[in-house]
Amino acid sequence: MNTTIKEEEGKLIAVFNGRLDTLAAVQTAKDVQPLIDADNTEIELDCQDLEYISSSGLRIFISILKSVKARKGTVVVKNINDEIKKVFEMTGFNKLFIIK
Amino acid sequence: MGEVTTFFGLSLQIWLVIIMMIGLFYMLTRTRVPAEVSFLGAVTFLLAMGVISEHDLLEAFGSEAILVTGAFYIVLAGLMTTGVLYWLSKHLLGEPSTYSKAIVKLMAPAALLSAMIGCLEVTHLFTDLVKIWARKLAIAPSKLLMPLSYAATLGGMCTLLGHTSNLVVAGLYVEQTGQALNLFAPLIPGLVCTVVGIALLAFLRNKIPPRESPEVSFEETSDYTVELLVPTDNDAVMQTIDEAGLRNVSGGSLIEIVRFDKEVISPVPADEYIFGGDRLIYSGQINELLELKNTHGLVAADHHVYSINEIDNNRKMRTAYVNFGSDLIGTRMCESDFEKRSDMVLVAVARQGKRVDEQPRQVALQAGDTLLLECPSKRNTDLEMTYKRTLTFFDSQFVPQLGLRTVISASILILMFMLSSFQVVPLITSTMLAAGAMLIFGCCRMDSITKYIDLDFLLMLGAMMVFSTAITKTGLMTMISNPILKLCAENPYIILIVMCFLASVVSELFSNLSAAAVFFPIMYHQAVILGCNPLTFTIALMTSITISYATPVGSVTHMHIYGPGGFKFTDFLHLGTWMHLILLAVNLITVIIVFPLH
Repeated sequence: MNTTIKEEEGKLIAVFNGRLDTLAAVQTAKDVQPLIDADNTEIELDCQDLEYISSSGLRIFISILKSVKARKGTVVVKNINDEIKKVFEMTGFNKLFIIK
Repeated sequence: MGEVTTFFGLSLQIWLVIIMMIGLFYMLTRTRVPAEVSFLGAVTFLLAMGVISEHDLLEAFGSEAILVTGAFYIVLAGLMTTGVLYWLSKHLLGEPSTYSKAIVKLMAPAALLSAMIGCLEVTHLFTDLVKIWARKLAIAPSKLLMPLSYAATLGGMCTLLGHTSNLVVAGLYVEQTGQALNLFAPLIPGLVCTVVGIALLAFLRNKIPPRESPEVSFEETSDYTVELLVPTDNDAVMQTIDEAGLRNVSGGSLIEIVRFDKEVISPVPADEYIFGGDRLIYSGQINELLELKNTHGLVAADHHVYSINEIDNNRKMRTAYVNFGSDLIGTRMCESDFEKRSDMVLVAVARQGKRVDEQPRQVALQAGDTLLLECPSKRNTDLEMTYKRTLTFFDSQFVPQLGLRTVISASILILMFMLSSFQVVPLITSTMLAAGAMLIFGCCRMDSITKYIDLDFLLMLGAMMVFSTAITKTGLMTMISNPILKLCAENPYIILIVMCFLASVVSELFSNLSAAAVFFPIMYHQAVILGCNPLTFTIALMTSITISYATPVGSVTHMHIYGPGGFKFTDFLHLGTWMHLILLAVNLITVIIVFPLH
């Protein structure tokens, strides 16, 4: 599992690559800490190469959302595959995030 | 005549029967294959191997035991539908002042009714009533359910209709002699055993363990595990459990969260987020925890639920216990499709009145476990009938309408008994006439009687008869019988005692039907060889195999009360062994006096 953070036009983008399972979640939580600590109000989570997400992975997404909402920002989740889409629908995450 | 090939001194046919018996024993004790399927498999094997003929098969399945049992199911349907049994059971119990009086007050009418309609039917009929009665008298239900079981078995000894095994033995006797037994043939030994049994039980009443009734435990105990699901659209999604007020709730606390990917969070931290699809496992008082459905929009469900609107608001919580031989034994709800098939959802499990310390749907179920199930609001009686072999519901939905037909069906039953006991017509004729009369007078409807006819049981009964024929035909009975004759110095009294003791032990370990099928041909053969009255051996066998009280396996009535009484397997052993030995002795003495050997 690999997570890259980049900034484009004032927007912070996290690019996920691989399987975000329970084991990978510990490192990923550290990798996305800049998104939580930053002042940016526009956050994008690019899931183009994210193959799988576990409940631990979703917990990281929620932590990001909570902190961004606290600074009145938005989180956009992009390019999720069908399997992750189903997980989002089941857990109710599709109503919490802006999905593109 | 062709020479018979033998292996180790036994003919091929005897070996086939022995192999079949071992196979059958394995199937019944080590597999979950239903008994009737095992027996039918064994019969097919014997037929294919030429041990029995098509004629034997047809004769067995058309035997008196099968026809009388089948017709009597219709008579029972009439009695149930018109409320005769409901009325009788409701009015026979009063308000006795002491526990010993309560035992007698319960056992006497239960035994009488059992002689008329069968022991299992009486146990079924009285179970719920006795539980209510026990609550009224402030006695643990187990203290009255065990006497009920004894009374039903004892009363059932008095007539051929009292126990199915009585009918099997009577049917085998007809096959051998061509003479039908009177309905009341075992009356005197049965009656003596009933009187002695009731007195003994009243005397040994302190040996009956007070067990907490499992469904009362669900209501009163403060420590059970309940599983509830968070629907996707629940407002608590994305809140922490503390924010949602779902951690320490009225009546209990959250002990575990099981996520969609099977991740288990335990202990649950206060800041843990809630996701749609989470299964929240609570420990605490059931009724209050179930209030979370109303206050927090949680649901009981076996599958994922997106919205609470998907759940029928009228669904009801019902308690049921897992039957012996149930296909649920050993299964976990999370791995089974039972909930989907039955439209029921497991909410909690109790075992012998105590909390099972696991997620309810992860618990490997055992016989006697009490389940709290969320059930459909309608079709309750259908649900009970469909799963009658799997589960027994505590709250039977059946409430009959009393009226003119109640009187008619009661009269039909009395007439049936009179015709048969005064030998106006044989038992088979009187039962079939009564069944016909029940239908003609509208006491039960043709389309509803199928619910009362236990086809699986009839199949098993037929297979038992075939099994008995195979033992006789192959000469296996001679092979078993002759060494016993020699060992007992051909003394008919000793042989009778030894054989009846062995038969009652086999009955304890397997079933009285198996004991009847195996022991009848052997004992009949012994009676003939010794020049004794075969009726003595027949009645002695008939009554001995019903005195199996030491295990719930040996007694169908014990098996029935096991779950509702919250009993442990060993609860039956201590008192049951004494009752078994004393009543066997009383029974054999009475049989020998009433039916002299010569």
